[in-house]
Amino acid sequence: MRASRFSLLALVSALASIVAGCEQSAQLPMTTLAPKSDLGEAIHHLFLEVTAWDALIFVIVIVAFTLAVFVFSTRAGEAAPPSQASSDLTLEVAWTVGPALVLLMISIPTVRTIFRSQPEVAPKGSLEIKVVAHQWWWEFDYPDGHKTANEMHIPTGQPIRLRLESADIIHSFWVPALGGKRDVVPGQINHLTFIANTPGDYPGQCAEFCGLSHANMRFRVFVQTPDDFAMWQKEQLAGPATPLPNDQLAVQGAQYFATSPCTACHTVEGVSKGYIGPNLTHFGSRTTLAAGVLKNDPADVAAWITDPQKIKPGAYMPALVLPGPKLNALVAYLESLK
Amino acid sequence: MSDAAEAHIEQVHHPGATTYLIVAAFLVVLTAMEVTVFYVHALRPVLVPLLLILSAAKFALVAMFYMHLRYDGTLVSGIFIFPLAIATFLLITLVLLFGYLSHHLAPIINLGGG
Amino acid sequence: MAAQPKPLPIFQPNYLEGGGLLGWLTTIDHKRIAVLYMATALVFMAIGGIEAMLIRVQLWEPNNTFLSAGTYNELFTMHGTTMIFLVVMPLLIGFFGNFMIPLHIGARDVAFPRLNALSFWMALVAGITLHLGWIRGGLPDAGWFGYANLTERYFSPTLALDWWVVGLLISGTSTILSAVNFLTTIITMRAPGMSYMRIPMFMWAMMITSILILLAFPPLTVGLIFLLLDRFFGTHFYVATAGATPILWQHLFWLFGHPEVYVMALPGFGIISEVLPAFSRKPLFGYPMMAYSIVLIAFLSYGVWGHHMFATGMGPVADSAFAITSMLIAIPTGIKVFSWIATVWGGSLRMTTAFYFALAMVLEFTIGGLSGVMHASAPVDLQQTDSYFVVAHFHYVLFGGVMFAILAGFYYWWPKVTGRLFSESIGKWHFWLTVIGFNVTFFPMHFLGMWGMPRRIYTYAPDLGWTGLNQLETVGAFVLGVAFLLFYINIYWSLRYGEKAPADPWDGRSLEWSVASPPPVYNFALLPNVRGRDAWWILKYGRAGSRGVAAYVAGQPPKPPEPEAPVDLSHVHMPPPSIFPLVVSLGVGLMGLGLIVGWYRIILIGGIVTIMSIIGMGFEYKDYGQAVHDPEHAPSSGGIDVRKVGVWCFLGSECVFFASLISTFIVYKSRSIGAPGAEILEIPLTSFSTFILLMSSLLMVLALAATQRGDKVWERIWLAGTVFFGLIFLSGQAYEFTHFYHEGMGYTTNLFSQSFYTLVGFHGAHVAIGVLWLSVLLVAAITGRLGKSRALSIELAGLYWHFVDVVWIVIFTLVYLMQTVHGA
Repeated sequence: MRASRFSLLALVSALASIVAGCEQSAQLPMTTLAPKSDLGEAIHHLFLEVTAWDALIFVIVIVAFTLAVFVFSTRAGEAAPPSQASSDLTLEVAWTVGPALVLLMISIPTVRTIFRSQPEVAPKGSLEIKVVAHQWWWEFDYPDGHKTANEMHIPTGQPIRLRLESADIIHSFWVPALGGKRDVVPGQINHLTFIANTPGDYPGQCAEFCGLSHANMRFRVFVQTPDDFAMWQKEQLAGPATPLPNDQLAVQGAQYFATSPCTACHTVEGVSKGYIGPNLTHFGSRTTLAAGVLKNDPADVAAWITDPQKIKPGAYMPALVLPGPKLNALVAYLESLK
Repeated sequence: MSDAAEAHIEQVHHPGATTYLIVAAFLVVLTAMEVTVFYVHALRPVLVPLLLILSAAKFALVAMFYMHLRYDGTLVSGIFIFPLAIATFLLITLVLLFGYLSHHLAPIINLGGG
Repeated sequence: MAAQPKPLPIFQPNYLEGGGLLGWLTTIDHKRIAVLYMATALVFMAIGGIEAMLIRVQLWEPNNTFLSAGTYNELFTMHGTTMIFLVVMPLLIGFFGNFMIPLHIGARDVAFPRLNALSFWMALVAGITLHLGWIRGGLPDAGWFGYANLTERYFSPTLALDWWVVGLLISGTSTILSAVNFLTTIITMRAPGMSYMRIPMFMWAMMITSILILLAFPPLTVGLIFLLLDRFFGTHFYVATAGATPILWQHLFWLFGHPEVYVMALPGFGIISEVLPAFSRKPLFGYPMMAYSIVLIAFLSYGVWGHHMFATGMGPVADSAFAITSMLIAIPTGIKVFSWIATVWGGSLRMTTAFYFALAMVLEFTIGGLSGVMHASAPVDLQQTDSYFVVAHFHYVLFGGVMFAILAGFYYWWPKVTGRLFSESIGKWHFWLTVIGFNVTFFPMHFLGMWGMPRRIYTYAPDLGWTGLNQLETVGAFVLGVAFLLFYINIYWSLRYGEKAPADPWDGRSLEWSVASPPPVYNFALLPNVRGRDAWWILKYGRAGSRGVAAYVAGQPPKPPEPEAPVDLSHVHMPPPSIFPLVVSLGVGLMGLGLIVGWYRIILIGGIVTIMSIIGMGFEYKDYGQAVHDPEHAPSSGGIDVRKVGVWCFLGSECVFFASLISTFIVYKSRSIGAPGAEILEIPLTSFSTFILLMSSLLMVLALAATQRGDKVWERIWLAGTVFFGLIFLSGQAYEFTHFYHEGMGYTTNLFSQSFYTLVGFHGAHVAIGVLWLSVLLVAAITGRLGKSRALSIELAGLYWHFVDVVWIVIFTLVYLMQTVHGA
């Protein structure tokens, strides 16, 4: 009976932790349990439905198990003879048909959700964004021509159609708040379609193992009201900010950047045309750096330029060892690219 | 032992040279038909089903007579036919799955070689 | 006594004694091989466990720098690969399967004892190969699933994945050989009266598992071969820029990978189905349904692999189909869980450690099964796949289900294997710490997954709320570590100080408890005559009805086993030990090593060693190929020689191998870029080749007919003819290949060329092996070593030869004649 008390304790604490977990989780940045899009809500709804059925079956199993082990059996040495029953048609039919019915209940909404969440063509009026996954960063190409990296802005209320492509190997696009993940497969175009419903800043991450810095392939999605989004888009469509003449450091940095090795891989509209690395035209307007690993502030930018491999092992960006003043100038220029 | 006796009888059950020769004749004729089907233009629309039937017939002849499935009882037939069914299922499913994917190809950059 | 031919010493005490080191190296006794499997698996289990704890240390806090990203990737790759291929499968199939199959069905050994030894040595070579990255190139680091195209040379340039590819190929071959062996054994060597509905449930599990292996490993082999070709020979099987798709790897891998889950789970279910009845004093509840549910699970498992790929964009139709088939598996699985509970219900429970583990397994596995239903629901899976939720799920299945079953099996069968009892008190500690450690480690992972933590990340940001649970899990992992330390201590304690085990310490139900602990080399002096399910229980107490129970309750001692000695053992023929399995494995290992380090002389040496020792093995016994059906050795074969059944099992596996190659060809033909395409194929030449191959089959059967008549002259002529025609076919192929090459179709020119050459080339390699096999037989025929009594030798070679022929019939139609037809 010591065992039964122990398992009861374990069960109660497990249940308590489940309840506590669910309450806490709504606030976590990457939780799947507080969906902020129609797709996320559909999935969450289905998840709750399946979980409820699962819980029912689990309770039945636990009760049956407890009765079998602790109530309707004896211990060796006790006088009662063991039953020798080895079959019971009613029971066996029951535990075949019962689960089958439960599965039927689960499979109908499952199939319905599958078909609803994967429209063959983009819904009317949708914003189509091309997402290109690279080892280890994300590129977002907007239909009107501007590109950003690792930070995607989308409006609420408008259908979003992501066209997922890979530049190298398989990655997986996952923003838990906005719905399930979709793999990004080289040679194949996948889509993810959803409507975001709550403005906010939602972190995402690559979910398919993609080599050394898989853990550092993060990004953020900024869901904005349509007005805010329009404003953002307008800023992005404008060319890069030129440093103000009184910002001596940034002006120096601009001169240096134009002739630096950076231009081989990075684009700043009107300055350089590299395409291996992220587009830096509006670098200063981003909140993060290095695929969401660092905050976009001068110290972190300098640290990144000086030793990218330390921050993101395997990164293809070479380290750039610069004397202090030059580095500061470059950082100031980059930060000025609002 | 009666089992042992059975084992010796089993050997005798195998057909003789005549049967083998007749089967061979069928195999040759069926192959000739396959090749003919391939070259006759009028048969193009039914090429796939015809070829499948003809080659299935050849397959069955070799398996049943040369591999003695017809004589060795259901046990070995089962051991062969079940995997064969799985293999066929696998082949058809994979072709269908990739058929769907072929509508979602990304533009391809050809890297030399070809 | 003296007049009898080489009797085994009657007083030979047990299988563990005698022979020395050489005895173990050359052993072909299934029990010794089982012990070898166990010993190696326990070593690898320690390695895999330490890898897991290092992983947990790294995840203790955000931005931890305890391990580098590269090391972390190596560790989780090797943890998965080790636990699956080098621990769980060797323990379930190599150890429990090997040890118990002959004992459970009442046989003296497995059908092919030397093949059994070969499986073990190859498994060992594979395990070592997988770890040789320590010396050069680094450990494999692309995950146990090794998703293409990360595994291409371009993205993973070091030797690390080369070790992985070669190691897994060798391991897969070893496993397929085991499966052929075990399936044949269970089909043909059951003791008189041991019908399919009387074998222990563990035997059902092993039988169906063997079928699963035979049909599931070939796709993995094909996938690995493509990867090997890509990495070493410049093909583009997974390179998108050449028109190929890395998704092909996922399909081939999960075609193996999902059945593989049941390859691990079914034997676990089998063990639980033995342990629960034994300690509940009740027959297994619903035996027929339990057996059918195993069959159904296995059958369905071929149709569900896509549920690992819901996120890859297979389209709504495929998603729905895979979702529904995956859910269906829950039905037979539910039957098992409920039947186990019903088995315990009303029993007289003996609360041993083995029983504890078995009971715990029922609950832990149920949790894993229920979260599996969530994954079957494709949209839900899109949030859960590749997150820690999945890590929680499969650890509840593979640890909570399978590892608990393995531990239950250890505590249950250890006395039989070693003749010593475990310490029950260390055992109970081991049990409770395992349960606590396991749940503390893995239950919180459900939440981490729902909170968005992806798998396989070596570091995470501090502001995501994942830290607390990660630390809890790390604590749990160390509790689990202590638990397993206790397990190893218990093993040591038991071997050193453990109480000597009686033959039947648990008052067991199946036949292994009727022989001494540890069993004698020959297992059963007299093959048992089986009168029902729970064969040994019936022998002890009479039929399973009230009389047996009454006797048990009244405390009557069971009837003592039939006296073992002095039984006349002159009729027992145990095959002599053989060094060839070890040598073959060394040869195979050398070939792999030579390929990886690029030292081609080593490949050549390895190849020669392998081929020569296989031929040596073929002629090692004087009675090779003799069609003397000995009911003593194959009582339930229905008159068909065991070797024939074995060859057929192998051919069944080959069907799936070629199906994987042919599907790839069909799919890639339509995705190939640029010329040449299928129009390059020449029908007249190939029609002639086809004719030649068909005629060689005719000559083959004529040779068999001649042998069966005892006609030695025509036997030689027809055999020589078959070899000759095989050579003509091969020359035709050589001509065809050179011709294509001169027309500009190199091996790696495009998808068409590489899949064509690979498919047809592998068929050609099969023909070449057939020619070699027949040539050896021809030499034997000419030197007068064949003849009527050894017709079976020719028949077996013939089966293989005709199979190669039917594969060609398929290739000729699908590849050559349908050249104008493109896939959907």
